[in-house]
Amino acid sequence: MAEERFLSDEFVSQLTAVGEVDIVVGLPTFNNRDTVQRVVNAILVGLVKYFPRQRSVLINPDAGSKDGTTEAVQAASIPDFRAVLASSPLRTMHVVSARYPGVQGESEALRMLFAAADLLGAKACAFVSPDLESITPEWIDALVQPALKDGFDFVGPIYQRRRFDGLLVKNLLHPLIRAAYGYQIEEPVGREVALSGRLASYFLSDQSHREDFPGLGAFEWMTTAAMAGGYRVCQAFLGPRVTASKRSALDLNTAIKEVAGSLFRCLEIHQSYWLSRQKCEQVPTFGFQPVLDLDPVRIDRKRMFQMFSSGVDDLRPVLEQILSPGTLEAITAIAKLEERQFRFPDDLWAKTVCEFAASYHHSAINRDHLLQALTPVYRGRVSSFILENGRAGSEDVELKLESLRQEYERLKPYLIENWNRKVR
Amino acid sequence: MRTTSSSPDSPSGMPAPGADPLWYKDAVIYELHARAFHDSNGDGIGDFPGLLQKLDYVQDLGVTTIWLLPFYPSPLKDDGYDISDYTGINPAYGTLENFREFLEQAHRRNLRVITELVINHTSDQHPWFQEARSSPDNPRRDWYVWSNTDDRYRGVRIIFKDSELSNWTWDPISKAYYWHRFFSHQPDLNFDNPAVVEEIWKVMQFWADMGVDGFRVDAVPYLVEREGTSCENLPETHDVVKFLRRRLNEKYPMIFLLAEANQWPADVRHYFGDGDEFQMAFHFPLMPRMFMGVKLEDRKPIMDILQQTPDIPETCQWGIFLRNHDELTLEMVSDVERDYMYDMYALDAGARLNLGIRRRLAPLMDGDRRRLELMNGMLMSLPGSPVLYYGDEIGMGDNIFLGDRNGVRTPMQWSGGWNAGFSAADPERLYLPLLSNPVYGYQTVNVEAQRRTDHSLWSWMKKLIQVRKSTRAFSRGGIEFLQPRNHRVFAYIRTLGNDRVLVVNNLSRSAQPVELDLRAFEGYIPVEMFGGNPFPRIGRLPYLMTLPPYGFYWFRMRRL
Amino acid sequence: MRELVISNLRGALTAVTGILAEAVPRVLAMIIIIVAGWVIAWIAEFILRRLLVLARFNRLFESKGVTRALSVAALPSPSEMISRIVFWCIWVAFILVGINALGVVALQREVSDFVSLLPQFIVALLVIFFGFLAANFFSRAALLAAVNANSPSPRLVSGFVRFLILLLAVTMALERVGLGRGVVLVAFAVSFGAIMMGLAIAFGLGGRHVARRILERRFAAGGERKEEKDEEASHL
Repeated sequence: MAEERFLSDEFVSQLTAVGEVDIVVGLPTFNNRDTVQRVVNAILVGLVKYFPRQRSVLINPDAGSKDGTTEAVQAASIPDFRAVLASSPLRTMHVVSARYPGVQGESEALRMLFAAADLLGAKACAFVSPDLESITPEWIDALVQPALKDGFDFVGPIYQRRRFDGLLVKNLLHPLIRAAYGYQIEEPVGREVALSGRLASYFLSDQSHREDFPGLGAFEWMTTAAMAGGYRVCQAFLGPRVTASKRSALDLNTAIKEVAGSLFRCLEIHQSYWLSRQKCEQVPTFGFQPVLDLDPVRIDRKRMFQMFSSGVDDLRPVLEQILSPGTLEAITAIAKLEERQFRFPDDLWAKTVCEFAASYHHSAINRDHLLQALTPVYRGRVSSFILENGRAGSEDVELKLESLRQEYERLKPYLIENWNRKVR
Repeated sequence: MRTTSSSPDSPSGMPAPGADPLWYKDAVIYELHARAFHDSNGDGIGDFPGLLQKLDYVQDLGVTTIWLLPFYPSPLKDDGYDISDYTGINPAYGTLENFREFLEQAHRRNLRVITELVINHTSDQHPWFQEARSSPDNPRRDWYVWSNTDDRYRGVRIIFKDSELSNWTWDPISKAYYWHRFFSHQPDLNFDNPAVVEEIWKVMQFWADMGVDGFRVDAVPYLVEREGTSCENLPETHDVVKFLRRRLNEKYPMIFLLAEANQWPADVRHYFGDGDEFQMAFHFPLMPRMFMGVKLEDRKPIMDILQQTPDIPETCQWGIFLRNHDELTLEMVSDVERDYMYDMYALDAGARLNLGIRRRLAPLMDGDRRRLELMNGMLMSLPGSPVLYYGDEIGMGDNIFLGDRNGVRTPMQWSGGWNAGFSAADPERLYLPLLSNPVYGYQTVNVEAQRRTDHSLWSWMKKLIQVRKSTRAFSRGGIEFLQPRNHRVFAYIRTLGNDRVLVVNNLSRSAQPVELDLRAFEGYIPVEMFGGNPFPRIGRLPYLMTLPPYGFYWFRMRRL
Repeated sequence: MRELVISNLRGALTAVTGILAEAVPRVLAMIIIIVAGWVIAWIAEFILRRLLVLARFNRLFESKGVTRALSVAALPSPSEMISRIVFWCIWVAFILVGINALGVVALQREVSDFVSLLPQFIVALLVIFFGFLAANFFSRAALLAAVNANSPSPRLVSGFVRFLILLLAVTMALERVGLGRGVVLVAFAVSFGAIMMGLAIAFGLGGRHVARRILERRFAAGGERKEEKDEEASHL
């Protein structure tokens, strides 16, 4: 059977004109006209400033923007580089835009970028979001340098977070990945990542799970696949991640469905790797991380608790099919506490997540429903976390999180046991 | 001795001398040093009688103009650019009579001759300076630039920074500082003194009367100094040039002036004036960018500098070159570009000198025949009069261990025999040792061997020059850049009236496809100029072409 | 007289004997057919169950939650169910053949009617079965959506959804088998309409403040929804 032809003729023609490159920077877009020019400028300046001799190309897979985004990308240029740099670029700057086939989705855009990197023989391939307000040219250096020159295959980001920002990552994704995969990767759903050419080629060849990972799940897939595949992984400090508009941000339900669901699916696909993985490694980190304590994110803790409390009560028949009786009783008990006394202990939370993961694996109930049932439980955890750490400084919060991560590691045998048990 | 036709159209197809005051626009200039070309008397130093013996060779190559490096009496501390007598011939190279005879024979072969006019400075051995330094009251005192302190003209850059620490040097005899922009043994003349200007005019007259066809004026930007400035490109300098040009026009309208001004194109533009200063000026910034473009495999540096080059008066012309007797200068590039050039072309620090690279063309191209052809192809097809440095037509090498820039000034390699056929003297007596390594040594690279075969570099260069001269679109035409999507391909159209030439260069080491937008030439038939083969007619669709590694095409666009 | 009675009795005895002589073989045949049918059905069930277990038939349904749904409904696993269905299909077929073998015309007619009704009956059972599954699925979906949207009374919403779907399924099943077609349909339409009307009145009159708030949130440029989004956006 002939292999699928998914790159358009026009795109291939543009790539042919560009020829062999050292660096590909991917910028997937969809109706980002208002924000994309700034991002393109930062990328171009970054490439000229930090990689003046390398052959590079900025590729913009677009999902069919109607607001002139691709025109804005093509038009964005630094008219006089001498205003921002010491000299003008040595090489021609290439910017290629093309519509990608299929429905709008991160995985389709990424597939196009993998194909372009493979076709052009790129040594490093970085991905950037089109709505970033905080991107600087230094981001390009931080992401590409380890892949291009230091021999790493996967470069994940580290963002400078506000307190209570990214709680889903800190309470679920990061510690579970650390416990299962044995890598201390800060941002497993980082949208600004870089790959080596060979890892990009590997992802291009392995598209069998493409449809399993919608939206941000695609990045999670890349992160875990790199770890499970034995590729060299590192991370680089970028800075605060500020996007132009919250409109594009996911609501919590969708976020949990996408990222927690993707993570559970990743655990399934990689079970032969993590079930036997014993050690936990530090991931090499590049860049300087300031200790600056940013203002905390506002979260309505009381509302979170109320939704948890009522949710646990209402969803009892559902949770009975997911959690063990002991865990469910413990959660039910804390859901009945007064709001100010409420605590969702680390071990209970970690155990809950492990049981959710195992139940997902066994398809205890419809998987979408299982993930939706996780949402109110997670709200409870968030409420408790904020209550406990409301006045703590960033260092103390970090200590608490480290303790949580160790709890997950301690519960790994429990996870494995539940994972491997026969269906009830 | 060969006689030449005196008909208006010489065998080369170029107009006979004297017919066209803009003859320099069509010139293909061959730069050489009498000392390095051929030795007739066995003293190990090339001379004018020896050069005369090789005029047939020069004519056969196809060049139209010889540019002679300084041959005047000199202590030779700067290879003749430190002149101690403006109206003499260095005895090592011959006599004035020898020079006259050489000039006459060159003209008979339709070869023009331009000489050096090194007027910014003299040798400190020049009688003028000897007199000037003898006493503050000497009439020639003011012929040079003196100061009691070295504070004047503070901040002015030092050009030979590898060997000089200051632009001022203390003269113990006259107990004062004298100004010099180059070596300390080359005191600058004071062009604020009308007597100096007059004297220089007399020097020009001397050579013009002898029959010289042009002057290459060395170090033009530095003629005049003013406090609080960079002492370069000052309005007063242009006034001096305008004056000399006016005089020249009145008496010798066929003689042209060529400026050596290592500046950005916008600054060099001023040296053309309104057609009342220099007729020609070297395009220094273009040269390193051609080298950069080939290494980067990207037309961007070349295109950028050409697009920044301002228009010049109709009577004026750029002089373009790849290499010359000096180091490959990297003054007119950014720090990033300079670092890149060093890393790509002069990894050996011994090859670096004075913000430049002291290597010949062939070693810079790693002896790659294809790259040599590509570079020369661009030289012969870009706007301007091309200047070919002696020895580059056979791919001569260099010797960076010879000190200063002597590594690119070694004797011409005529044959694989005694002293490469350059001189009958003992090899130890040669003014500089011959190259003898297996790659570039005279046994391997020499004129005699290359003239025997049609496929040698020399034969190819001869053909290249011949094809270039077959149309004036190259020498006098305008240029329009094509910008195909493939940035590795550098393509342009040269146009003069109805004469159109399409030039397509592949700057990459790998074969390249390119689609050219030639809709404006729909219906034309491109005829490849080296083989004479017609290519498919141009239609409305993009014209697809494939080029071999470092390949290039010249197409005459025929409408039939 | 005595001879007449004896003659009549002899005649009656002969007739009964004749009927019995005719009927008994038929009854015996029926019994043999039914017993043989049971044996064949049992063997078929046994073999099929083994094959399905070996082929891991149940796994196909595990990920779709069917196994779970069946166990919640106190139903056996898919392989077990299919095996049992096959058993009953075969045996019932043999029973019908056996009854036919009796040769009783009235019975044959009833058997024929039953056989013609059987497909509709099976379809009705399937409708109820899938209706039950759908009710479970969608009621749970409604429950989860209501909980996560922080809607009031999510269990009520869930129960209501389950009731509606089951009602629909039962109505469709009854209609399928042709039981009180007109009555059932009308009853369903009236009930459904009444429920909807009641909900609309309750919401529009009694809950008009809630209705206004919801509309404002949906169509307002900023406000509460934006705040919710601000908070929501920070989890990743």
